[in-house]
Amino acid sequence: MYELSQYAFVASFAALGLALFLYLANLVGARSVQLIGAANGGSISTSTALGAVDSAGRYATIATINALVFLSASLIFRTIDSGRGPISNMYEFSLAFAWGAVIICLYFEVAYRLRALALLVLPVALGMLAYSTTIPSEIRPLVPALQNDLLLTVHVSVAVLAYGAFAVAFGGAVLYLFQRHDTVRWLPRAAVLDEISYRAVLIGFPLMAMTLILGAVWAHIAWGSYWTWDPKETAALVTWLIYGGYLHARVLREWRGAGAAGLLIVGFGATMFTLWGNYFLGGLHSYA
Amino acid sequence: MLIFLLAAAVLAGTLLRQVPPSILANPASYAQWLENARGAYGPFLTDVFEALLLFDVFHSIWFRLLLGLLTVNILVSSIDRWKGIWTAAFGTRTRMGDAFFEHTRFNAVLTPALPVSTTAERITGALSDTRYRVQTQVDADAVAIYADRNRLSGFGSFLSHVSLVLILAGATVESLWGFSDPQFIVSEGATSELGLGTDISVSLEHFVDEYYLEGPPRDFRSEVVIYDKGVPVKEGTIRVNSPMSYDGIRLHQSFFGQTAVMKVTDTAGQTLFSEPVPLAGRTKDEGRPLGSFNIPEQGLAVNVIGPTSGLTDPLVPAGEMRVEVYAENGDRLVAVQNLSQGAPQEMEELSFTFQREGRFTGLKVVKNPGINIIWIASILMLLGLVMLFYFPHRRLWALCKPGPDGTTEVRLGMTAQRDVSLSREFDRLSDRVAGELGTARESGDSGGGAKDV
Ligand code: HEM
Repeated sequence: MYELSQYAFVASFAALGLALFLYLANLVGARSVQLIGAANGGSISTSTALGAVDSAGRYATIATINALVFLSASLIFRTIDSGRGPISNMYEFSLAFAWGAVIICLYFEVAYRLRALALLVLPVALGMLAYSTTIPSEIRPLVPALQNDLLLTVHVSVAVLAYGAFAVAFGGAVLYLFQRHDTVRWLPRAAVLDEISYRAVLIGFPLMAMTLILGAVWAHIAWGSYWTWDPKETAALVTWLIYGGYLHARVLREWRGAGAAGLLIVGFGATMFTLWGNYFLGGLHSYA
Repeated sequence: MLIFLLAAAVLAGTLLRQVPPSILANPASYAQWLENARGAYGPFLTDVFEALLLFDVFHSIWFRLLLGLLTVNILVSSIDRWKGIWTAAFGTRTRMGDAFFEHTRFNAVLTPALPVSTTAERITGALSDTRYRVQTQVDADAVAIYADRNRLSGFGSFLSHVSLVLILAGATVESLWGFSDPQFIVSEGATSELGLGTDISVSLEHFVDEYYLEGPPRDFRSEVVIYDKGVPVKEGTIRVNSPMSYDGIRLHQSFFGQTAVMKVTDTAGQTLFSEPVPLAGRTKDEGRPLGSFNIPEQGLAVNVIGPTSGLTDPLVPAGEMRVEVYAENGDRLVAVQNLSQGAPQEMEELSFTFQREGRFTGLKVVKNPGINIIWIASILMLLGLVMLFYFPHRRLWALCKPGPDGTTEVRLGMTAQRDVSLSREFDRLSDRVAGELGTARESGDSGGGAKDV
């Protein structure tokens, strides 16, 4: 089972790399078709070229779906092998985070028929997978503090989905900054990108609240105190507050545009800091 | 904005080193801690940080003030918004003026070749089918229809904000009426009084630590009996993920260590001390396990020092205990001896025996009467967010007025707040209504060309 899980991991890595390549091809293709189209006023060759570009995009989506399937398989095989939820050390967590980012990105890609998002989110996921190859992957037994399978699995699954949603909001925000004045023709309108980021936060914010709450329940059981200002907890709270600030600014002050996009980028910085913060800061979460 | 200030404060508490409470309690070790901080941040910044209480952000007066301000702010704005939320949910007018239909973000006009009453009936029917709640008002000049869905959504905002205040209230209840002892030590075969205003004591039958073959720990467990006023009331096993609770007090497995069972007798053979001594401290120099006890009759204080584990220790060989005897209640060292297990030694005219080794367990004892408030608040928070984000309040108004030649002029309008998918919803509803009336939307604005989607 462990080998199967490793094979599935390699397959998902490859599929994700291929997907990113196809998204890029789709992008470059769309740009050059636009240029050709502008030069010869929309001849037949443009439409065939468009068809090819479109199928690159379609294959990109298919490759991403494959990557998701392989990644899920890898996590499932690990679960079968270890007999517990597949998210209890940094290696498994990196895989799970990539999984969360890919699944939420796919959701938005399908809901908005928007492939550009993947250009920013897939590198984040690929980066996590690449990072995971640098840390030990063998299955280790759980130390006593982690021996609460239900809470461990739910707490961390909810967290990776929240992080995935924030990664999508980040992708939308970066694209927004390129598209601020609706000048880039191969990107959706700025308003659409702004909306995508907002919707991603609407998904991520409650999930992050739930992560904090489940963490508190667990700390209450295992450490005897629901909140200890442990650095990882605290970083998660900062992240949540930043997105809370974003929601307020947007609802109460109709605050959009570059500032809001910048805040989403800061928020994603805080998310990544939460993920890795315990490496610099120590604390009770030091096993993950 | 308050939220960002709060985020900044919490961030400072994450990035800067924070003094652990145990060090803060002791001025000497706090001075030492500050000295270390000077090394890390430089003397100037350290003084600034200390003056601003940035080394203990979460217990500082200004952080509490900030939380207090947040509470007031949230309460005031919640009260302020209550009326608006209530009106949106229960007190909405069925008939809106003509200006509303012209200026609202989503609007459309239909002119079916049907009389007003039939038109109104069909619109009502079409909207009821879409799970909207429909109200009709028949006036002399027109029939007004109002339909809405998820009208309680606005209370989600109220719930999620009030839950923040409740969480702070729970924390306040905890600090006023709760207590906690992070280092409650019980030795195997001994009983410790809990204190803290209770009559509870705990005895430890066994402490067990197990390890995986690869080395990492597998299980830590304490088998204990709880006594209330000397009567055994509960017994069981405490593990890291399964605490034991009695009368609102919870006992958590936190740490463990070694004990030395010591016996001291005087020349007459009378026993002055016979108990396990938990070696829960550490010697200053080499960090050897250290425990201590007193013999009040003689004014003596005794330190028991165990070997550093894992290494061959030249000062304290494995299987021995080093005993230091201090007179004048601990001020003057008068005797030092290494004791082997089971062999009595004369020191200061007393006989000291290191009888055997054992274990102690370190429990964290907590009483938190505010915890249920916290859990209720958490549930309200999630409930509130789900209501607000995933079940947005949707409201549609229709006004049917008689038009020329027996037709009816129908105007449709919807308002948008934070609901970004409203344009799709409006298209869906108005197309459905139009279909029912056998006509198409003539004019209107479903958000396209407006300032955003
Ligand atoms: C300083 C105190 C605060 C005040 C005065 C305040 C006020 C408000 C107001 C008036 C709204 C609009 C409500 C509505 O549209 O129905 C709102 C929305 C919201 N607030 Fe607060 N709030 C405060 C603190 C917080 C905090 C600390 C959080 C959690 C991080 C939070 C989370 C939210 C959320 C999630 C929304 C909904 C945003 C949306 O609809 O997209 N609030 N707040």
